[in-house]
Amino acid sequence: MSATKRGEPLKRQYKHILILGVGNLLLSDEGVGVHVAQRMMHMELPPEVHVVEGGTDGFGLVNVILEADRMLLIDAVKGGGQPGSIYRFDIDDCPPYPDLFKTSVHQISILEVINLSSLIGSTPQTTIIGVEPLCLEMGMELSPQIEAKIPKIIQMIQEEVEISLGNKQDSTSTKDRCSRQYQ
Amino acid sequence: MGKRITIDPVTRIEGHLKIEVEVENGKVKDAWSSGTMARGFEALLLGKDPRDASYVTSRFCGVCFSVHQIASARALDAAFGARVPWGGTLLRNLVMGAEYIYDHMIHFYHLSALDYIDVMAVANYTGKDPALNKVKEKVVGLVKRGDVFPLVPRYDPDEFSVKDPDIVISAVKHYLDALQMQVKAKNMGSIFGGRAPHYQSIVAGGFTQYPDINQVARFRSMLDELAAFVNEVYIPDVVAFGTGPLLPLAQAGIGGGHHNYLSYGSFEMNQSGKKLLFKPGVIMGLNGGMKIKSFDQKKITESVHSSWYKNDTPKHPYQGEQVFDLKRSDAYSFVKAPRYDDVPMEVGPLARALVDQDPTILGLIKNQGVKPGAVARHAARAIETKKIVEAMYGWCDELTAAMTKPRFKIHDTAHWEPPATGEGAGFYEAPRGALGHWIRIQDHKIASYQAVVPSTWNASPRDEKGKRGQYEESLIGVPVPDPENPINVVRVIRSFDPCLACAVHLIDPKTNEIRKFIVE
Repeated sequence: MSATKRGEPLKRQYKHILILGVGNLLLSDEGVGVHVAQRMMHMELPPEVHVVEGGTDGFGLVNVILEADRMLLIDAVKGGGQPGSIYRFDIDDCPPYPDLFKTSVHQISILEVINLSSLIGSTPQTTIIGVEPLCLEMGMELSPQIEAKIPKIIQMIQEEVEISLGNKQDSTSTKDRCSRQYQ
Repeated sequence: MGKRITIDPVTRIEGHLKIEVEVENGKVKDAWSSGTMARGFEALLLGKDPRDASYVTSRFCGVCFSVHQIASARALDAAFGARVPWGGTLLRNLVMGAEYIYDHMIHFYHLSALDYIDVMAVANYTGKDPALNKVKEKVVGLVKRGDVFPLVPRYDPDEFSVKDPDIVISAVKHYLDALQMQVKAKNMGSIFGGRAPHYQSIVAGGFTQYPDINQVARFRSMLDELAAFVNEVYIPDVVAFGTGPLLPLAQAGIGGGHHNYLSYGSFEMNQSGKKLLFKPGVIMGLNGGMKIKSFDQKKITESVHSSWYKNDTPKHPYQGEQVFDLKRSDAYSFVKAPRYDDVPMEVGPLARALVDQDPTILGLIKNQGVKPGAVARHAARAIETKKIVEAMYGWCDELTAAMTKPRFKIHDTAHWEPPATGEGAGFYEAPRGALGHWIRIQDHKIASYQAVVPSTWNASPRDEKGKRGQYEESLIGVPVPDPENPINVVRVIRSFDPCLACAVHLIDPKTNEIRKFIVE
């Protein structure tokens, strides 16, 4: 099961922080997580941080997930907001039943992968950074509106990383942080 | 008029599939298979550098990325006139071998096994085995919390479902063990694949990354672990189920279908590529003995008669197009209907085993009275996994020997530049069956590209002649005693290991709850 329960404050100083970008690179904004991960792979990051571009893999991500004690998952999310909206929520804020999640290209959705991983190991404390897509048509580029959000998303991830490493104090509870404006 | 049952979507498969059956007197009388998601990623490739194809096509699917990569690379090999050196072929074989082990284990334990066991029987386990009691505790705990994924969705157990708590609990334990083993298979593939998912090392002309001795040693030691699991757990489980509770289903040949089988052949066993681990060939019906004909790619066509594309006559993949027409009322699927010599075919492990005349599968047919159908598909999958594991040891040895030679090569570097014009077809046996990519090059760029994937063969709708696709045909006569519980229908469909993925993958919680987490 996940390292912390709903509402529990974030544990400090994680040892293996996974930035996992998922999505289909061929469906424009659906691939936003992949684009973010690909860019972060070329950045200088603390040694505890591991960037993985997971594409649309399912079962194959169990291994990378189980190695981490903290995960920042980047994906397109249909949350009902304006295109380009950025969401930040913890895994426990998602309804636990997979059929509520309109997934998936493939075998199983990323949330199901996390659930499945918990059967054989301890899953990381997981926060999802989601982006409301504008366009899901075939195409290998992001729409300009979403592309414009990338620096912001990366900045948010870096901030989460600093907090997770204990380099930056964050006194608010997880719940409060969900609704924090990053602007 | 019988009762119509619609299963939409069929779960625990990869991608979206709708199955509709008409049931009369407790049996399926007619069936329709619909792929409910549009694909057509080929259009993205037009005008690109041909060498991009193996990277882009590997994004078609999160499950089948490596098989698209290799089929694409093989189409490019042919179009460029490249000759892959033996070292490159061995590395391709090893990466793909790992993929087979991974895919087949997941299919049996994680996608199919729940069709055959009453998983709730674990609660009745009274034995003393500490490991099994831990499994019991885990499953009972999940059920109590109401957190029953991955045990649902499923249909109610029927007379063929295994209910013996001792058998069920060991199957569930193996489900968990296999979850760990698939991680190893994936890690093994990425030793040479460079990264996972979406390996990047299989390219036009060969392979990109020279292996070192430590990598081969690591690969081999992981292979040892997987081989032990395949031989000591996976094979015995399939044998125990197939010759035990499922023997009546196996002998009835439930889910047999047209009994036409196609295999492109795969896994070069020598440098000339003349000797393959699985021979190519075609079987047209089982009446009058099993005659194996040679495979001729010119006989492949794709029909759009029942598919949401602009209506047209059947075309060879070199001439194929994707122009959608969603207004056609006579269409019912996004899947096209590939035909070989105008006939629907089954592709996949059973087709490979029969075309290859595998002695183990022929023995099951001759001595155990097993008929080619749903249960035989599971058997064929297990049998070939064992065969591939054995072959992989040989490829490791050959690779180790080849690496010591001064002229060890993994890539035909002389043929890396795309020709001005050309065409090529790449054939590969993916774990799910015959996969073909066809490319035409003009002005050094991709002028046309078509992929005909295994699940298209199996899941195809009706053609011009009204002939059903293989899923549809295999459902005819399948017993459905209770219309509320069409478990045999999903058993048959899942025995093919459908993959109709290639589409969206976003988190859509179907609730506006998430909106409150907007941060920007």
